[in-house]
Amino acid sequence: METEVKKSGLKITFIVLIGIVLAFVIYYSIMSMLSPVRKLDEIKNEFVGNASEKNESEQQILKDSTYLKLLKEKAFLQSRLVMAETDSIYLSINLADSSINIEISGVVVHKARINSINISKILSGSDYSVLSMLSTPFTISRSIATIKKEPVMLKMAPKDTSEYKPDIMPDTSIAEPVNYILEVNHGIRIYVYQEEKTKFVDRMNQFKFDIKDRLTNTWSSLKSIAVLKVPEYHPFIRIKLPRTDAKIIYRAIPKNGQIAVFT
Amino acid sequence: MENEEIIKGSTQAEPEPDLNPVNVEASKTDSESGQAVNTGSKSFLRGVAIFLGTILFILAIIIFILYITPALNEILPGRKTEIVKNSEVKNSADFKKRLSLLNKDIQRFTLKSNGYTSGQSYIVVNTTENRFFLYTNKKLIREGFCSTGSLMMLKTEKGKVWVFKTPRGKRQIQGKIANPSWKRPDWSFIEEGLPVPPKDDPSRWESGVLGDYALGIGDGYLIHGTIYKRFLGMPVTHGCVRLNDEDLKVIFNTLNIGSKVYIF
Repeated sequence: METEVKKSGLKITFIVLIGIVLAFVIYYSIMSMLSPVRKLDEIKNEFVGNASEKNESEQQILKDSTYLKLLKEKAFLQSRLVMAETDSIYLSINLADSSINIEISGVVVHKARINSINISKILSGSDYSVLSMLSTPFTISRSIATIKKEPVMLKMAPKDTSEYKPDIMPDTSIAEPVNYILEVNHGIRIYVYQEEKTKFVDRMNQFKFDIKDRLTNTWSSLKSIAVLKVPEYHPFIRIKLPRTDAKIIYRAIPKNGQIAVFT
Repeated sequence: MENEEIIKGSTQAEPEPDLNPVNVEASKTDSESGQAVNTGSKSFLRGVAIFLGTILFILAIIIFILYITPALNEILPGRKTEIVKNSEVKNSADFKKRLSLLNKDIQRFTLKSNGYTSGQSYIVVNTTENRFFLYTNKKLIREGFCSTGSLMMLKTEKGKVWVFKTPRGKRQIQGKIANPSWKRPDWSFIEEGLPVPPKDDPSRWESGVLGDYALGIGDGYLIHGTIYKRFLGMPVTHGCVRLNDEDLKVIFNTLNIGSKVYIF
């Protein structure tokens, strides 16, 4: 009799626990779904102000696809021109024609083909505020990568000629997996993955890199949700490039380099 | 049908009634212990099922949070481009005016953007791949391998540090010399464990090591030839850009003082 009471007690606890977990998951999902809406509102407030101030005919024009396409093009060109005025190395990502360029002072010094694109709905949509946001270049604030930005090697100077050893030929055949994230203004993240997944190491590396990023994001979302705050949403652009191009771009772009995006 | 019954009989295996009290007692204990074993294995299986179920449940939650929730994020935001069917708007003077202004802006920006690429000769150096690209009139006229900075950090016991890195960004040709001689800097002695001679010591001068030509790009960095041709295509230099003799000659003859050098 006692064991049966114990068993049913356990059962109830178990069911309650599952219920709590499910309720939390639902709450987490709802809060997560709200985060992009809040992000869009933030962008709208920053770039357009109150949308209701625009009259109806203006709003109708802003919905026209031809007009919006041209606006996007203008925003991209404006962004590139701003960057061209600097002497720095910068990136221009044109998702419409699947190309990514390294540019210096307006001169395209390297071109690469994007083979796969996955973009956040916020960025792919044609909201006027997003277009305004795209007309100024983004600045990289943080980057996470599987390769070093500058693979500097330390060499201690020999005390005399007897200690001197000539440099050995560097091994350029090493093909390390290249995956990285560039975080820019407004929490936008640009994910660059190498296209080649021929080796098991490449697949594992990409999986580990991806899962690490997901865990970090989930952890920060959980922290926000724990204090009843809507978690931060990071609009994203995920692209796949040939490994060589991905590496060239990561090594070329300065730590706080600029990026123009055409969606 | 017969077989089925045999199987049924063997699996159910009900014990025949025994009238002997000792045997009855014994069979009772047997059946009780059998039941206990049965209940034990049942509860074990139940335990395993609960354990597996819990693990599956936790896994499902993790997968949901890590993979499904980010996908759910994409359900709400954004607005699809709507094609205006209202011909009133399309034909309105305001719309036409705005479209024309936009087109003019785009034309103006495109022209300005294209103007950045010089029609004159310039060279592009890719330090990751150790390759160069020579352009004239916006057309690629020569490409090939070069050697750039090794990214080696040379450190002395006294804490003096040099990083052998090719400078990146936009530079320009500041000087051109045929048959250049190299004035060895301090690091070149320190690197070999040699004593550093005074600044203007004749032992600092070496000829023939820079090839037939050298083009200065500022801050002591040069585009020059090399005696280590097998290293072309590799990052082995102290910051200069090394080329083979033929490429160097073409570049020397194509680029002028003031020509742009883009290094990335």
